[in-house]
Amino acid sequence: MSTISIAVVIINVILALLFSLGAAPILVWIERRVAGLIQDRLGPNRCHINGIRLGGLIQSFADMLKLVFKEDFKAKAIQESFFFSLAPVIVFASAFLSFMVMPFADDLIINGERFIMQGLPMDLGVLWFLALAGLSVYGIMLGGWSSRNKYSLLGAMRAGAQVISYEAAMGLSVVSVLITYGSIHLGDIVAYQGQLLFGFIPAWGIIIQPIAALIFIITAFAEANRTPFDLAEGESEIVGGFHTEYSAMRFGLFFVGEYVAMSASSALIVTLFLGGYHLPYLNTQTLQAYMPFILMVLIVALPLGSWSAMRWIQKHNRWHKANDIRNHESAFLQKGLIGLNVLVIAGVGALLVLGLSETSTNVATAVIQIATFALKLLFMNFVFVWVRWTLPRFRYDQLQTLGWKVLMPLAIANIFISAIIVVARGL
Amino acid sequence: MGIKIVPRHGNTLKEKLYLPAIFGGMKTTLSHLITNLSDTPEIKTINYPEEQPHDISERYRGVHRLTKRDDGSVRCVACFMCATACPAECIFIEAEERNDGVDEKMPKRFDIDLLECVFCGACVEACPCDAIRMDSGIFSFIGKKREDFVLSKEQLLANEEKKA
Ligand code: SF4
Ligand code: SF4
Repeated sequence: MSTISIAVVIINVILALLFSLGAAPILVWIERRVAGLIQDRLGPNRCHINGIRLGGLIQSFADMLKLVFKEDFKAKAIQESFFFSLAPVIVFASAFLSFMVMPFADDLIINGERFIMQGLPMDLGVLWFLALAGLSVYGIMLGGWSSRNKYSLLGAMRAGAQVISYEAAMGLSVVSVLITYGSIHLGDIVAYQGQLLFGFIPAWGIIIQPIAALIFIITAFAEANRTPFDLAEGESEIVGGFHTEYSAMRFGLFFVGEYVAMSASSALIVTLFLGGYHLPYLNTQTLQAYMPFILMVLIVALPLGSWSAMRWIQKHNRWHKANDIRNHESAFLQKGLIGLNVLVIAGVGALLVLGLSETSTNVATAVIQIATFALKLLFMNFVFVWVRWTLPRFRYDQLQTLGWKVLMPLAIANIFISAIIVVARGL
Repeated sequence: MGIKIVPRHGNTLKEKLYLPAIFGGMKTTLSHLITNLSDTPEIKTINYPEEQPHDISERYRGVHRLTKRDDGSVRCVACFMCATACPAECIFIEAEERNDGVDEKMPKRFDIDLLECVFCGACVEACPCDAIRMDSGIFSFIGKKREDFVLSKEQLLANEEKKA
């Protein structure tokens, strides 16, 4: 192993950590602020470190800190304390591991060496995700059962039944997708989506497999235990569901696990149906061929984007009392943005002036693709949040009806149709 | 006959598909989000306590105050009507003789425990002398100890009427 390969592996692991674990506080923040704004409220925006609020992001860190230092309370009736403590670990670990196979850029080639850009370099792809996502429900069931609480048990039972009915439809919808793409390796799937359909539409999964995309997205909501399928939690019916008895960091693990699972589901949706790390119309080869132009566009677009962001910050990022330390934040943010602009433009400009070598083109491609993937991931996570604050919870029988009577038959029919089309095209 | 037939919803194909309605709902929530991020937000909440509510009506029952006579002395005659009327029994009066010739009796102590008070206004209604009112407009009362919430005669006298 050369130094470069070790560096790339480490960067990959860090990126995977950032996208999953690092995303959790950001997602909590998005969830709270978006919920507030959707409901014409402000949402948490007061917490600050030396005046820096980042729009309320600091609140998530304060919250995590609080969970860490809270009393680790456990009711006396809980006898299986090993399983009780194991449950959140299972939920968290499986959510976390399921993220590890998401490719966030095309295979990177440096000095003739090929690196798979994902947390764990494996070819298991979708199967790994399905296996681990299914595992997380064991944590929920274990937690609910060992809590010795009727509400927790009810929540656990609901979670179990829900996962059984939705995993089937999810698996079947994935089958039809795999038939179309002809591979379970997520890298191949994304590469397939870099093509153009009829020469002008990007062949994204959502366009060539709309029904599978719909079923998969719906079941992914159920899999991640998000509204409208958060019956396992059901705070208006069964207190807190499976985590009623949990507090402090044990609850924190459930809590973070939920967001990591949501991020993992989003990553898979992005990878399977939204073109993965591809910018529309620019697959890896075109991106590399037109790299100088794209970098120039970046040099122009970045200051424009930052300018409008700065205008927005000036207008909206104010505190309501003069002389409050929080009023210094806007200036700080604007300086940060200007600094970022200077750095990026200097870096990209130097690249352009010095001329692009093959390696630097490859690395630039990887960076652009990682950024694209991050943006798409953020968007899909936003959709999860958005849906949560739009739709009410399903009733239990409605959930089962939808799962078995609608999604399952639809998924099976979709398998037949896609198989027929694939075979017909192959003839 | 007064029977009204309500048409049942949810039987057309469009309604059974759910998705159009779901997308409609998502459009509504997104429009709220975008409006609130734009230059003309329609946020209905305020940054309390930096911003104070501005829509409190004049008749809002705030913290009590004891009114004064024209000469500035306490108007209350310690008749105990308010303490009798109070459903929460949170008014504690101790009477004393009044020697300045203005009246015969006045309160020596007049305490109201705001933690027990339900802000019903019965004391104001009961008072025959218009000596107690709840028009101070103070709607948030902050203290660190329970004792802080027991207002003495002096504090009650110090509260001013809130002018609109
Ligand atoms: S407002 Fe009602 S509860 Fe409060 S002191 Fe007066 S009578 Fe008692
Ligand atoms: S406030 Fe009014 S009702 Fe109460 S003791 Fe004084 S005069 Fe009587």
